[in-house]
Amino acid sequence: MFSPDRYEFFCPVKTNSGSRALEHLPFELDTMNATKPFVITSQKDARRGLVDVIIDAFKDSGVTIGIFDGAPAAPGMKLIKELFTMYRDGGYDSLIAVGGGAVVDTAKILNIAVSGAPEDIERYAGSDLITKPLKPLVLVPTLSGTGYESSRYACIDTLSFSSCFLMPHLVVIDPRMIVFEDVETTAAASLVTLTHAVEVYTGPEKNPLSDSYAYAAIRFVMENLVSVIRDPRDGKGRLALVNAHNAAGCAFSNSTPGMAHRLGKAVGDACQLSWGLCMGILLPHILERQTSEDGYHIPGLLLPLAGFDVYAETPEHMKVQKAIGILYDFQRDLFEASRGAIVRSLKDAEVPEEMLRDIARKAAGRSSTGFDADVSLMVLEQAWKGK
Amino acid sequence: MGTIREVKSGKKSLKKDYVAIMMWFMGRAIQAAASVDRDVRKEFAELPDRFTFDLCVMPDGPHMIVGKDRKGYVRYMGWDTEGKRTNLRIKIKNLEAAILMFTFQESTALATARNRLVVDGEVPHACAAVRILDIVEVYLLPKIIAKLAVKRYPLWSPGRKYIGRVFVYLRTVLGL
Amino acid sequence: MNLPGYYEFCCRVKIIAGHDALEKIPDALAYLRARTPMIVSDKGVAGAGLIDIVTSAIKDGVTIGAVADDVTPDSDLQVVHRLARLYREKRCDSLIAVGGGSVMDTAKGVNILISENADDLMKFSGANALKRALKPLIAIPTTAGTGSEVTLVAVVKDHERHLKMAFVSYFLLPDVSVLDSRMTLSLPPAITAATGMDALAHAVEAYTCLAKNPLSDAHALAAINLIGENLVRVTRDPGDKNGRLAMANAATLAGIAFSNSMVGMVHTLGHSAGSVCGVPHGVCMAILLPYGLEYNMHKNGHLTAELLFPLGGAQVYAATPEGERADKVIALVRRINEDLHEASGGRHPRFFREVVDREGKQMVPREKLPEIAKTALSDGSLFYNPEDLDYDDFLMVMETSWEGEPLERRKIKKG
Ligand SMILES: [Fe+2]
Repeated sequence: MFSPDRYEFFCPVKTNSGSRALEHLPFELDTMNATKPFVITSQKDARRGLVDVIIDAFKDSGVTIGIFDGAPAAPGMKLIKELFTMYRDGGYDSLIAVGGGAVVDTAKILNIAVSGAPEDIERYAGSDLITKPLKPLVLVPTLSGTGYESSRYACIDTLSFSSCFLMPHLVVIDPRMIVFEDVETTAAASLVTLTHAVEVYTGPEKNPLSDSYAYAAIRFVMENLVSVIRDPRDGKGRLALVNAHNAAGCAFSNSTPGMAHRLGKAVGDACQLSWGLCMGILLPHILERQTSEDGYHIPGLLLPLAGFDVYAETPEHMKVQKAIGILYDFQRDLFEASRGAIVRSLKDAEVPEEMLRDIARKAAGRSSTGFDADVSLMVLEQAWKGK
Repeated sequence: MGTIREVKSGKKSLKKDYVAIMMWFMGRAIQAAASVDRDVRKEFAELPDRFTFDLCVMPDGPHMIVGKDRKGYVRYMGWDTEGKRTNLRIKIKNLEAAILMFTFQESTALATARNRLVVDGEVPHACAAVRILDIVEVYLLPKIIAKLAVKRYPLWSPGRKYIGRVFVYLRTVLGL
Repeated sequence: MNLPGYYEFCCRVKIIAGHDALEKIPDALAYLRARTPMIVSDKGVAGAGLIDIVTSAIKDGVTIGAVADDVTPDSDLQVVHRLARLYREKRCDSLIAVGGGSVMDTAKGVNILISENADDLMKFSGANALKRALKPLIAIPTTAGTGSEVTLVAVVKDHERHLKMAFVSYFLLPDVSVLDSRMTLSLPPAITAATGMDALAHAVEAYTCLAKNPLSDAHALAAINLIGENLVRVTRDPGDKNGRLAMANAATLAGIAFSNSMVGMVHTLGHSAGSVCGVPHGVCMAILLPYGLEYNMHKNGHLTAELLFPLGGAQVYAATPEGERADKVIALVRRINEDLHEASGGRHPRFFREVVDREGKQMVPREKLPEIAKTALSDGSLFYNPEDLDYDDFLMVMETSWEGEPLERRKIKKG
């Protein structure tokens, strides 16, 4: 087994997952010395009755909670400042973010403000500028996430943040909250998850700790995504997917984002497509390319992708081919299960071919660790055509 | 723009009452089993004098307090912790976890594995308390349910099982 | 991947690993806003020259406020108080614990006193009595086995009042654990073997007992794989730096797995054989591990079977029919014990009757077995074991593992 010469790993997240997980919240808050949490969620999740589940979970606990259920899809600094005032005036001492995406960004950034002052937000925008732990932040994820909820990243307006202190202290995954989302949202977050986990598992910063989180995430996505897309009533599958989102967020926070991540984001931003869809299309093409490059660990990927038996039966020299083949098969299965909604090529995603060159140049320009525009363009062209 | 709404913690009276009744029954059954069953008697005999333990739900009850009185007899001591010193407290983290246990969806072992219990006190005492609870459950519950509640359903002689069960039930109901 | 009805998982310790990981400590301390650490260790560690390695690796980056290298083998309350006084006198602002379990426990005890500015440790004993972060604590393990560099428990003994205080809190987790191959290079083969088998027992029990969960499973699988590939190798060749680092990684992975999923009967009996006869913990683990797997087979044989993949490797796994994999795992664990016995020049015992102390005297006389079985009834790890054990069951396991006979499957009561 691969054991690197040196590595560092840190994950402050505690995960509680399963039946009645929410009812453990009062106990958990007490261990973090918090007594009055401020709950943030979106109108959509409140309308779906998810806030009622939270209220019910706090029954009999003696804990008073504050609920703000108006987080918009595109929050701004103005909202953060208003929330800051509400939090301060209400005497709250911790945050609970219910949902995914913008709600969680809002909570993470609000946490910078309530742990210090609202002015801190601009000061701490950037990478690793926060220097001390923030207030307890609990994440109660749903399937409406983006795959970034448990990670060290957050953004608002034009500001983006990266710090391990932004990661939630506790993630409570409760089946009652994991209601079905539309196919696109579910697939997008899970494909972001798969991409992140695969890039951690195969990338130059591979280490046994981040591998453990990545391994669990990859297995969960491979075992459950197709079946959840095919049959949204698969509650256990949905729960497993959110477990995967969480584990991959932890792993991803410990490594430099890889090529599939960067390129997928670039395509998504350029063409108003979901990042996850683009990353999912690009991933096997990029892995194919990386097999011939130094520093990548592709053969071992077969293990989390396919499990013990397939890995053990596949001869050493066939492992790379098999792993990539499985990812292409996975694309096909998703395409079929979603009745064509999850496409397999950039062409089918209606990315104009003439934009590829521009995207490649932009993505390469953005990256700090080198992959050049030519390589990116080659990969994009392959992914445009599809397998 | 939204506003904040403050929600005070509500109550779950029905569930709380159910757990309280089950605990009352369990407490009296432990007292009964201590005079009927030699293993329960032995477990208590090895615990310190005046040993008292409290099985309870966080944050504020219900409680089940059982202990040895001055003469060494095992007594169910009610649900009121006022003025009682306990050597061991097994706390169930919340009411829903207690419901899972007292509807036999989760055994003591499973609840422990799922980190739903907190033990205040010495571990050897907690081990003894769990063994006592297991034996009492075998007396009280039909095999099909008790098999879910304990790890290994014991191979007792029919005398111990059936006659013992009658006595435990009689004494529990009559409070002897 | 198995997803249980409910689970919890957490490891907030930052891991820094490598052949030159010690050199990163000044940066790690600066990140925690500390610059004057007190080093806590024991005579054995200091005698092996490990404190010198640590100090020379960090002295350019920090001021070492104090070095206390006289922690007793049993973490003792008096020592905790003395070290807390020293810490305050020398105006330190953080702790570096270099050593095994008792050093970590002592450092954690000291950290409670100095962080809470308290005189009475008792006030903080029990579960979750601590409510806020303590002073920065960096753990440097000097064996690859116990996993205490990633556990949230501390035990301190009050030898005067014959009290044992246990502390459980996430705030007791070290902030950073530093795994450096130099710390275990001089470990003698027999100790390498025993501590390595402790790590294996942690990973195997975490994977096969009742509190297993997907995240600790992943950690356990990685640990077992690393141990399968490296333990016998480094016992044979102590200077193998890469093997040493792999074992340090394995021990930490196993530590993370078991501090979240707990351990079962191998530890139940191991703890009591340790407390009744003073047998080193790792030795107990090595001897008992195959028996724990055999005893629980009817409950978790399918999980044991899966372990053939990480322990034996892909080829052995593929070559073994499904129904024989669990037995093969047990046979492999026994084989590893044989190999370690041979690699350590016979110093690694395979059964309890082989365990001897420094004078060559048998440590576990047969007549002690009933006492060990009795003591086992009071150990909390039994809660997490898949099958129950009463006194007779414990005694049966002790008798067979004393002789070195396999367990007779038909004698196991299945309810
Ligand atoms: Fe151990």
